[in-house]
Order: sequence, then C-alpha cells, then structure tokens
Amino acid sequence: MKGGFLSLRVLDTRAETQDATSVLFEIPPTLQDVLCWRAGQHITLRFFVEGREERRSYSISEMPIADGRLRITVKRVQGGLISNHINEHVAPGDTIEVMPPFGGFCLVPNSRARRTYYFFGAGSGITPLYAMIRTVLAAEPHSTAHLAYGNTDESAIIFRDALAGLEEEYGGRLTVRHILSSPSWKSALQYWRRGRIDAECVAALINECPPYAQDTQYYVCGPGDMNAVVRTALLGLDVPGERIHMESFGNTTPPDDSVVGVAAAMSVRLNGKVLTVRAGPGQTILNAVRTTGNTPPFSCESGVCGACRAQLRNGSAHLRARMALTDAEVDQGVILTCQALPTTPQLTVEYD
Amino acid sequence: MPDMPNDSQRTMPVLPVEAYTSQEWFDLEQARIFSRTWAYAGFAEDISEPGQYTSVQAGLNNIFIVMGRDRRLRAFHNICRHRGTQLLRAVGHTQRAIVCPYHDWTYDLEGNLISVPNQEREFPDLDMTCLGLKRASVDRWRGMLWVHPDANAGSIMDWFGEVEPHLGPHKVDDLEEYKDGRTEHEIAANWKIVVENYIDGYHLAHLHSGTLAMYDHARIESGFVGPHFAFWEPLAPEYAEDLENNAPTPLVIPAEQAGAWVPMLFPGIGLGETESSWSVFHVTPLAPDRTRVVTRTRVADTSLWEFVWQSFRSYGFWARRSGGKFEGNASDPMASGDFMAEDIYACEQQQRSLGSPYFEHGPSSATGETGVRQHQELVRNWVNGQ
Repeated sequence: MKGGFLSLRVLDTRAETQDATSVLFEIPPTLQDVLCWRAGQHITLRFFVEGREERRSYSISEMPIADGRLRITVKRVQGGLISNHINEHVAPGDTIEVMPPFGGFCLVPNSRARRTYYFFGAGSGITPLYAMIRTVLAAEPHSTAHLAYGNTDESAIIFRDALAGLEEEYGGRLTVRHILSSPSWKSALQYWRRGRIDAECVAALINECPPYAQDTQYYVCGPGDMNAVVRTALLGLDVPGERIHMESFGNTTPPDDSVVGVAAAMSVRLNGKVLTVRAGPGQTILNAVRTTGNTPPFSCESGVCGACRAQLRNGSAHLRARMALTDAEVDQGVILTCQALPTTPQLTVEYD
Repeated sequence: MPDMPNDSQRTMPVLPVEAYTSQEWFDLEQARIFSRTWAYAGFAEDISEPGQYTSVQAGLNNIFIVMGRDRRLRAFHNICRHRGTQLLRAVGHTQRAIVCPYHDWTYDLEGNLISVPNQEREFPDLDMTCLGLKRASVDRWRGMLWVHPDANAGSIMDWFGEVEPHLGPHKVDDLEEYKDGRTEHEIAANWKIVVENYIDGYHLAHLHSGTLAMYDHARIESGFVGPHFAFWEPLAPEYAEDLENNAPTPLVIPAEQAGAWVPMLFPGIGLGETESSWSVFHVTPLAPDRTRVVTRTRVADTSLWEFVWQSFRSYGFWARRSGGKFEGNASDPMASGDFMAEDIYACEQQQRSLGSPYFEHGPSSATGETGVRQHQELVRNWVNGQ
C-alpha cells in the first residue's frame, strides 16, 4: 500500500485566511478503508510541475469521521511551489494524486480515558492540532484540552471562528489562548499574550490551567525552533519526555551535514524481496534504492514525515535530520532512509 | 437508577458474625478490598502548589502524592528502596527532591534515585536506575484526590464512570470547604456496620425522624451501580414549597433540582450531596471493631455559611422540625438532634450485640434494606477474590 497514489477529486476549497486554503477531497466508498486516518496524520500529494515530480505532505485538518470527506489546510510558504499552487489554482472538480494517510504524530482517543491535553501550535501547525482537539472533544468525553496558539497577527489565525465555536459548544472542556507576535493596533481580538510561544508562555499556560485529570499529554506543532523551545520548557518543568508529542512544520533545524557518507554495498529488504544495492559516496539510502527502479516508500524527503523509515540491521548510517524519530527509535536502529548516509561499507536495511 | 434486584435472599446474614468481629476477616478485607481499589486521599485543593505533598494509608499501602513543577500529581509508594523507611510523613512541602530520613537516600519528583551518600565506598556497584520509587496511580475526580496502589490502574472512569450519572448535578470544584465543618469520629463498630447504616433507607424516617425531615423518604430511588451504591431522594413537599426561606444556607444547585444524592462509593466513601452543601463521609477501618469516619463539607459561600450555621435553628421550618428523637439531655445522642450522633449510637449498639451469645439476625426489609444485603454480597465477593 505504501508508495501507492490514489486519485482523489476535490469537492470544495475554502480560503481560511489570506494565506491559507482548505481543500476538501471526496473519499469514494471503495477507498474508505484505505483513506481512514488518525487525528494528526497527514497525506502526501503528488504534482508534476514542468515534468518534475513534486511531493508535499499536509496534515489532515479534520477529525476522523466516516462522512466521505477528507480535508487538508495549506498555508502559503514564501516562494513555495506547491503551497502557492494549491492556494491559487486548485478548484472543485480537480483531481489530485494522494498517498494514504500516515504519520506517527497522532492522537488516538479512548472514550474511557480521562486526560488533560495541552496543545502548543503556531501558524499552520494548527492543522493537525485542530483535528486532535476535535477528536478529544467528540470522542473523549472525560478529557479537557487547552490550546496556546501563536500567530503574527489576528488575520493569520487559521480556524479562529471554528475554535471559538468549539470553546462555546463544549463549555469548560476547551480553552483557547492566542499569542500574537505583532498584533495590529486596530486588533479587535482579545489576545492572551504578545510575543512568541516561549518558556514563559508554556509555564503561564500550565499555571493558569493546571491539569485536572492527571494523565497529561502535550502536543506541540509549529516551526522547528518553536518545538525545541516548548520541549525544553516542558522538560524544565519536569514533564516526562514520553508525554510530549511533536511534529515540526515550516523551517526545521538545518540538516547536520557534518558527516559525509561513504560508498556502501547494501542488502535491502523491500516488499518481501531482498535487493542488492550500491550507494555512492554521499548518496542517501533512499536515493540509492530508487535508482534500482524499485519503489521504496518516501514522502517529504526532509526527515519530518517518517514515511521512508526503515530498520538498520547491520552497519551504521548518519542521519542528516531525524525529526520524525524519537531518541529511543534511533537507539534501536530505526533510520529515515531519505536522510541516511552510509558510514560503513556494508549495510543491511529492512523496510517495515 | 437500576431496578431493584430480586429478593430471593431476604434474610440476613449474608455475612457471618465473624465478618464483623474477627481479625482474620479484617486482614482479608485490608488485602483484598482496600489494597485493590481507588482510595480517597482528600480534597483536590489539599495539594495546590508544586512541592506540596500528602500521604494516605490505603489498605496495606502507604502512598504519597506530590505535585511537580508541571502541576501534575505523582503518586509513589511511601517506601525507601533502601531499607523501606517511610519517606514522607502526613502533609508538607518539599522542593525538588525527596530525602529519606534514615540514610539520606534522595529521589527526584519522578521517583528516580538520584543520590546515595558515600556511594563510591558503600555501594560501588549500585545500579541506581533500578531503585526508583514504586509508582502508584493518582487522579482528581469530583473535587477529590484519589490514589490506586497499581501504577497501571487505568482510567479512574473505569471505576466511577458508570455511577457518575447517578450523582448530583453539583459543580464540586466550584464549592469551597467550610473548614469548621470537618468532623472526625472513632466509632466502636466494624466499618461495614457504619456503611450499612449509611445505605439503609429504612432507618431514615425512623432513627432520623427529627433530623432529616426535609426529605421525602417515601420517594427514595436507590440501588447498586457496579460496586457503588447510588441514592437519591427529593425534598419533602412542605419544605420544597418555600425552599428559599427553609434552606439554612445558600443553594449549591438550581432550586428545581433540589434533593439529596447520598451515594456510598466502594469501599466506604460516602457522599452527601444536597441542595445546600456537599460532603464526603470517609470510612476507614482501624480494627475489626473500630472505624474512623472523617467528614468534610463544601458550601457555596463559607462566610455566609458560618453565619447561618450558628443560627439556623431559628429558621421557621427548623424550629418546628429539628430535634432529637427523644426528649432529654443534649448529651444523650438520641436527644441531641444531631443525625451523626444518632447513627453512631445505632452502630455501636449493633456491634456490641454481635458479641452476645443470644444474638441472632432478624429479617431484613423488602426494599429499604436491599442495599445492605447487596453490600454484604459485594464484600463477600471481593474477599473471595471475586
């Protein structure tokens, strides 16, 4: 199933802000099983622009409900080829190639669970968080959620009305706090704080909203530097690391190019077959496998999404980036093949 | 409210006399009931600042709760991993570490062992990572703290989720404790006698004819929901008619919902949720024939409560209705006008009679005492390991 693209029809589009558009896809009944998702997961879109294949991953911005629709919300990236294309050109009736939902940054509800959730988001990082918040409110009746949401100004807030509506609808079970880095002087919004989501802001949220249910979970989704700041702040308050869940959006930390890969002979298990693959010096494992004509799974090619993950059984490799992996996974030899450069002349790699 | 179960077993005893008098039964209950269930550990606000802690005896386990800097509660078995010394006593405040008073072994608030004095010399091969404090579970529910000795106890809603819809509409966290309303009694009776008295609907109109007359005991709805006993009764019509003037204190729930929810959560955590106050009635077995009951009360406005508590007997309804069952000296529990004193008297008399060779259980009532029989069955099942 991985690597397989499906053609989906666009039902509708909607401008959420000046720079963000939601795209609603139709899920045909025959694909309902393939296109089910967990709140927080994303899909990969494939476009061909001037003969070149371009892939992008976007979070699904609605909770999983079997109503035959799937929504993503895409914010323009300055100079971004695909995000601008989606904002400007995608229209109802279009067909777009989509890879089924995946991703480890997700929230699986449990109707008996009783948790306190803290969500920290900035910019388009709200999209998976919004799906999660909706899920908690609808499917975990004993849980509560607190959201701190950072934007440059009022006009950039995605889902502002929808969030306010949820706050109203669910009484005390959801609180929303807006943080604006440069609010307009004519801002009508009663925002919570001015500035960015930093350590002080993290502490303030927890002090204002101490956990009621003691099973606390922290979901963080924003630009790479915000995630690191929030994680450090939470760890500094003695929040156990396993309760912090993160996904990076936008400008991630720069890749670690300190290590140059070596040429390697690799044994690669993929789709039940064992391939012999040669990697040139400096070539990623993913690229080496792709040149053999096989179709290994991959998506974002920046170490964020985790679609290309594999298990290293023998040898070693340097990861230029590893946002999608936990420390424990790295210790167990999980690699992101799109970021992995062989550092030993012989390797054994197994895709899941 | 669930239907009344069949009354095939109308006669007590479900449990033998020894269940109320023997050390063996007491020990079994401690191990199999009180060490395996969620235990009440106080009011949620008892721990409100990072570093604050409290400890609670829950059956065979002593468990402490401490708040971390993330304002999350952690619960651990109160046992140093060195020689088993109790680490924290009663209530207090700590910084970022917990130090055993015996040899100064030190743990962080995650329970990790972080320091052992003279470790290099005395414990050269010690693997500190294996000697963290043993975790327990903790949660807040309905304005109270709860602990469970099992670190993987699961959601507290697995335990209380089913009974919750049968409790009062009170927003417990919004009410404040009336501190002077706290009572503590040691009762010379087995804990089950105290609990059985609490869930006995038959006695209300009789023993408490003078003290609980504001409720309509004829319209009680009660029954077990899982291991918990749910109980509701409406206001007496005459009282409800002029509730604003009759109620001794400001209402804590909307007037149209007025009534009393008096559940007994298992094991031995009674709630008294009425239109004007919210109380917990916490039963702790101390010995086969000794039981401690601590009550704590929340009200809408403590300053106002203070005033009316002093003077409530002058209110019209109370002046006419409140009073002891018997006329006499106020030091006589049956003349005190205090329903708690009436209950204690009844419980202690029962316990004493159990020691008589002439004691024999009588028949139990068809509906009012159903809960009593069912509680005995419940205890029997738990003691038998279900």
